[in-house]
Amino acid sequence: MELLPGLAISASGLTAERLRLDLIASNLANIHTTRTDQGGPYRRKVAIFAERLKEAMVTPGPQAPGYGVRVVGIAEDNTPPRLVYDPAHPDADARGYVALPNINVVNEMIDLITASRAYEANVTAFNAAKSMALKALEIGRV
Amino acid sequence: MFLSAVGEALRKALEAAALRQRVIAHNLANANTPGFKRYYVTFEESLKRALRGEQELRLYQTHSRHLPGSGPEVEARVEQDRFTTMRQDGNNVDIEREMVELVMNSLNYNLAVQQLNGRLGMWRYVINEGRR
Repeated sequence: MELLPGLAISASGLTAERLRLDLIASNLANIHTTRTDQGGPYRRKVAIFAERLKEAMVTPGPQAPGYGVRVVGIAEDNTPPRLVYDPAHPDADARGYVALPNINVVNEMIDLITASRAYEANVTAFNAAKSMALKALEIGRV
Repeated sequence: MFLSAVGEALRKALEAAALRQRVIAHNLANANTPGFKRYYVTFEESLKRALRGEQELRLYQTHSRHLPGSGPEVEARVEQDRFTTMRQDGNNVDIEREMVELVMNSLNYNLAVQQLNGRLGMWRYVINEGRR
């Protein structure tokens, strides 16, 4: 049916924004993590989004340009770690500095708000598509 | 037979609203995609022209018995707004605008369904010889 791809498009947006929220939660949870498997402090993680374009013309006539959004990958932020002078810390270097993750709480909170607003917008679009599909079932039922 | 010119216009309007819903959903899904440019659907202008009997391009006729080509084409078209930017990353999706268009589009869709139901109801009334 015509409207059901609309639901899938909104669902792709929901998945992508949910992943972004998860990464922000992970970044905030690891704000003081100094040890990782790769060595060194935790690095801020960001999701990379790309438009999901349609592969081929499935049906004739005008079509939506694509099928929502897809997550291309999760990248690590390569900005240098934050150096804090704390000689008592077990991971302090010879000069007494500790390398803390390159996470800025203010940036994370702003990302959190934009991600959750975008999530809500996708929910609204999903509900609109659903109510339109239900309305279409009423055609002819007078 | 059941769908007159108005019925046909309503059918086209339903198709256009369904397409527009998908386009708005696509824009909203890509609200945080860097470099994404929003898409929009043009339909009302084309419908207005068709209802007025205008046509964008006519087939050239050198003889009165040449075929005039098909009638005015009412087609919803997807276009892209490539030249504006809302944010530093090149994205130009304005969530407020998309939400307003989403609501207007839902209302348009419901309107077209009700109009269509009204017309179908009249047919049913006639077929049932006036008995409801």
